[in-house]
Amino acid sequence: MAADKICFVTTGATAPFIALIEAVLKPDFLDAIREAGYTRLLVQHGTAKQTFDTGASIASIHLDHNPGGGRLVINGFDFSDNGLVDQFKLVQKAKGLVISHAGSGTILAVLRYGLPLIVVPNTQLLDNHQDELATAMEKSNYLLKGDVNNLAKMIPLAEGFRIAQASFPPITSGKHRETKTFAAIMDESLGFME
Amino acid sequence: MAPPPLSLYTTSFLLATLVTLLVAGSLRLLYILPHTRFQRKPLPRRKPIATRVLIVLGSGGHTHEMLELLRDLDTSTYTHRTYVVGRGDAFSAQRAVKFEEGLEARERARLRESEEYLDEQIDTGAQKAQENTELARRRRRNTTKEDRPTCLGPAHYDIAIIPRARAIHQSLLTTPVTALYTLISSFRPLVPPPPPVFPILTPSKKNPNANPPPPPSPYDVAAHDLPTLILTNGPATACILILASLILKFFDIRGAQRRRMCKTIYVESFARVKTLSLSGKLLVWVVDRFLVQWKELEGKGGGRAEFWGVLV
Repeated sequence: MAADKICFVTTGATAPFIALIEAVLKPDFLDAIREAGYTRLLVQHGTAKQTFDTGASIASIHLDHNPGGGRLVINGFDFSDNGLVDQFKLVQKAKGLVISHAGSGTILAVLRYGLPLIVVPNTQLLDNHQDELATAMEKSNYLLKGDVNNLAKMIPLAEGFRIAQASFPPITSGKHRETKTFAAIMDESLGFME
Repeated sequence: MAPPPLSLYTTSFLLATLVTLLVAGSLRLLYILPHTRFQRKPLPRRKPIATRVLIVLGSGGHTHEMLELLRDLDTSTYTHRTYVVGRGDAFSAQRAVKFEEGLEARERARLRESEEYLDEQIDTGAQKAQENTELARRRRRNTTKEDRPTCLGPAHYDIAIIPRARAIHQSLLTTPVTALYTLISSFRPLVPPPPPVFPILTPSKKNPNANPPPPPSPYDVAAHDLPTLILTNGPATACILILASLILKFFDIRGAQRRRMCKTIYVESFARVKTLSLSGKLLVWVVDRFLVQWKELEGKGGGRAEFWGVLV
């Protein structure tokens, strides 16, 4: 049996991103990931269990009617005590993909695991520096920025991005400026000598 | 007794007093605030045996980033950590405890490793000693550094809870009142009561061998002193706590200014790419160091924002 290839979708625990959950359960998205060889779709839906359940049942009907695209298992869960560490490790092992809302915490965590990442800024939020962050990160080639209407088209791009992705945190030492760790800055601010 | 001269009650006298106070106050403020134009290097000082650092945690994202910043925290230098948490924010308090447990676990793993290494050295014996000199030298270097023990465990940190400056849907009218309450409450973690003194037992007939009580350890003293360093990354409570620390410096309470305590570092959130946050815009003028994590923000705040790469 071939190993699972996982697409993990996380939508933020406090204010779930309903539009993203709906988007990843749409037939065109499901077909796109099946075509790219994914066998599992794992969704952290947070408090939006209802949305997920409805979407998932429609999705399974679609999958049953079009078995040609290959098998795909859809799972969902609400929260994880471990802060998604287990899920990230799973994706890392399975050479999978993460699709996430553009929260800075999640972005940092995913990139630390070196996983290919598509972020979808939640444009419904008033305070929209999520989009700023996503744009800046995409410019530096750390991740791909998508939106809820074009996710299916992003999947083939993500396969190529796996190789082109820049590693994070950036290695800037020696290039044109000195970098410092925060621990060093703390000592320096107090004037502590070794 | 002669009545006080009437001149003391005139408006002009009152005005003169006010102006004098105002001038004196602004001069003092100029003195205690960091020099905005000339970024002076802090005067070097010897690392004290014990240092307390105050860490202001905020809501989910702020807390996450702050603990990420502190992942390489040197507990042998920063021997006591006080985590300041807004009332009702159980999540941040939990994260702080987990973070401290993580530090402990890391230390245990490191000790185990060095022990295993030591065992290995004994096993391999003399003929391999040559090869190991380099490793041994490295190890020795490590041990000299460890003259300062790492300070971990519940005795070396505490969690201070202060009321929120503004609840999520609170009206703007009542905010000044709650903010003032927060301000007053933030003095508690800043100026904790002195360490408990044991009753002094003087030698007497009843108890001839009574010894004077042991002096409190430097760790205890530091844990109950002003913090040497305050770290924050922008929750609203932080602004008020920094204001409280400025008041301490202004009046040199417990030598806050004289002893160079309460130094402040502000780290702008990684999510801020092009503009400073509201807390950032306010605090950039009063904190000792202001760090940003995107090149585009370098030099904001009148040239005070420093960029040293991504820190989280």
